[in-house]
Amino acid sequence: MDRVSVQTNVLKANQEIAAENRTLFEAQGTVAINLMSAPGAGKTSLIEATIRGLEGRYRLAVIEGDLQTDLDSQRIRALNVRSYQITTGTVCHLDARMVARALAEFPVQEIDLLVIENVGNLICPASYDLGERMRVVICSLAEGPEKPKKYPVMFHKADVVLLNKTDLAATSGDDLRTLEANVREVSPKATVFAVSCKTGVGLDDWIAWLRNAIGSRSIAAAARK
Amino acid sequence: MHEISIAKSIIEIAEAKAREENSRCIQTIKIRLGEFTTVVREALEFAFEVARRETLAENARLEIENMPMVLRCVHCGRVNAPVRAVCLICPLCGLPLEIVSGEELQVEYIEIEREAERV
Repeated sequence: MDRVSVQTNVLKANQEIAAENRTLFEAQGTVAINLMSAPGAGKTSLIEATIRGLEGRYRLAVIEGDLQTDLDSQRIRALNVRSYQITTGTVCHLDARMVARALAEFPVQEIDLLVIENVGNLICPASYDLGERMRVVICSLAEGPEKPKKYPVMFHKADVVLLNKTDLAATSGDDLRTLEANVREVSPKATVFAVSCKTGVGLDDWIAWLRNAIGSRSIAAAARK
Repeated sequence: MHEISIAKSIIEIAEAKAREENSRCIQTIKIRLGEFTTVVREALEFAFEVARRETLAENARLEIENMPMVLRCVHCGRVNAPVRAVCLICPLCGLPLEIVSGEELQVEYIEIEREAERV
């Protein structure tokens, strides 16, 4: 019997495809966002609000990931934004290969902002790099303030955390402050926004931040050309 | 239950290495599994039992080394290993901590029987 050293990351195959996706996005000046949350936290609502908030200033596209149905994709198309639905069947997360396949359906060079809505799940999607520029995690007050403590890996890897459904804060007392403190504990470097997709409160700050991120990216891509 | 896809990836990596080494029989696959990953040891062990069927790892043993989470403050150098709740802010400096260990998900080595040995 022989022992042979391997020293290979288990997720290497995914990471290689993610790197190809990232190279493509960078070459085309596309900002890609990997949007993750538990089911029902408001991912699709945030995308709808973001589309409205950007007021047609950028060319947008959305990739929707769900186990079944294209209901989310229909919601996006209703706003006249290009949308592609990935139905994963039983798979609980998107991986880089699924995104690469979806990208073949898009003229990536014509897209400034690509939002990839992951499968609603606070566990598995955290492990799979899709080639995104930013990881955005939504946590709604309806889920209770302890989620970042229970799912620290997901929150730790987030660049941006949106605390949604703040319109419920009036009824849940100090939950918003506790939730924000819990996010900071596991993700001290993340940018945090408190929003309500229902009332629109706080969305201006998120949109302004996003515009800045897209803007600086487009300039960087233009400079390279 | 993404442990199934994780188990498949582990086996694919091990099989590729075994073929490279001219072996068709993997006896052991040794991995390092960090505490701060989304992979659950027990679920992975179960998934491995299923995923190894009809592969070169059909009779292989999966050996898992747990890697506990270790955090270090870049500012004051203080090292700590959180036991229960994870907090990535230094209790002394209030600055973000870096993760020294706990994110591992790595195939370390395989133990194989080579073709020639069987003759």
